Amino acid sequence: MILPEFDVLVPNTVAEACGMLSKYADKGVRILAGGTDLLVDLRRPIVPSEISSCDGCATHKTGNVRSTIDCGWWESDSSPESDRALLKKVQDSIHQYPGYLISIHRIKELRGITTNEKGSLRVGAMTTVTEIERSDIIREKWTALAEGADSLGSPLVRNRGTIGGNIANARPAADTFIPSVALDGVLVIQSEKASRKVSVDKFATAPGKTVMEEGEIITAIEYPAPPEFSGSAYYKLANRKALEICNVGVAVWIALEKPGGPVADIRVALGAVGPTPILAESVKKVLIGKKPDEEIIKKAAKAARDDARPIDDHRGSAWYRSMMVELVTDRMIRLAVKRAEGEA
Amino acid sequence: MKKLVTLTVNGITHELAVEPRRTLLEVIREDLGLTGSKKGCGIGDCGACTMLVDGVATFSCLMLAIQADGCNVETVESLAENGKLNKLQRSFVDLGAIQCGYCTPGMLMTATELLRRNPHPSEKEIRRSLSGNLCRCTGYQKIVDAIKAVAGE
Repeated sequence: MILPEFDVLVPNTVAEACGMLSKYADKGVRILAGGTDLLVDLRRPIVPSEISSCDGCATHKTGNVRSTIDCGWWESDSSPESDRALLKKVQDSIHQYPGYLISIHRIKELRGITTNEKGSLRVGAMTTVTEIERSDIIREKWTALAEGADSLGSPLVRNRGTIGGNIANARPAADTFIPSVALDGVLVIQSEKASRKVSVDKFATAPGKTVMEEGEIITAIEYPAPPEFSGSAYYKLANRKALEICNVGVAVWIALEKPGGPVADIRVALGAVGPTPILAESVKKVLIGKKPDEEIIKKAAKAARDDARPIDDHRGSAWYRSMMVELVTDRMIRLAVKRAEGEA
Repeated sequence: MKKLVTLTVNGITHELAVEPRRTLLEVIREDLGLTGSKKGCGIGDCGACTMLVDGVATFSCLMLAIQADGCNVETVESLAENGKLNKLQRSFVDLGAIQCGYCTPGMLMTATELLRRNPHPSEKEIRRSLSGNLCRCTGYQKIVDAIKAVAGE
């Protein structure tokens, strides 16, 4: 399977990239970052499986795959209704194959991990997952994100894959997306005319669908400085240790008023148990203001289970996932509390 | 429309006109004739096509040649020194870490990157770094042994 035909544009700045995005919007344009998702998606068979074979036309022998260009079948065929539906399908699938890819690997301002004087973190959208995995400051202060990076794909995927791409693809099991929700990340999104910020937990609207509009590009993800006595953790429950998509992924960020003391704030993000990563709001109601003891953590984990909306699929049943959300949330809250108290 | 790309492959700089949709793997195998790197899955699961791009282990099936413009690429052909297998390759042969051999170029390149970054990795580190390279013969233990033998020196 070779890739379908497209042209590749290589901008040097974000402004240039935004200009290209609007200029070629009508020809189909996609941003190429690490390519570990996009170049795989583009390899899918160009002819959708529903397309029937040609009954014989001016350019085709009977039995050839129908083509919108050669066969002209949508004008002559006896059942216009179904053909129109078919034509739409073909056109939709063509639309998915972009005429242009904008490869953003040259843009320096999209790379790098920096902290500012207030202690908050900025990760450039083109920062690779390996760079995040190896960053000492992220492991120390935004631990859940480092643990997400650890568990994503394989070393080779991590060497190419970027955090911006992982989040932009908006998959509910994305290993840097889930911790970013728990860590209250904010996406910086740039277009030709303006820049805006979107909270990571409001970014995805459905699998693969986001609030991003045509002509926009993610430039960075920002994370607030962790307060004193706070900690985070992420666990990916999966069948294999590498090259895997999680059954259930749970990221927890917790802040205590003092060691052993009441919970000041908590954010629990649940992955692969809904159409997007879910911020478990009801956990807040259970835990905030309470001492995180055995009983209350159990209650919080149950609340997380109620917030999850898992489905049955080949990775696991909804029933199993529900149980695992509760179990993993329980463990991750304990671990995050320990880390907040400086023990782990 | 073809575009000009400058690639330094195993120390030799090439200027090539390539179609934008062609991958680094396709260009290196088909245009440069370096067929040591293999195409396995073509979707970044198996690691048979692993090359070092600017020193980073990369699957060349998911990188467009255009994206490697100006980069320094090392393939398995770069490992032998003066026509002789290098230590790591020798160790693979001596310890039987090759069966059908299809994954071997990728395994060698991933191991090369690991040993440059970390000359004395633990077994756990070796296994973790190889976790994106699949061996359908399932000869993993011997591959790990071969790398350990070099790392132990």
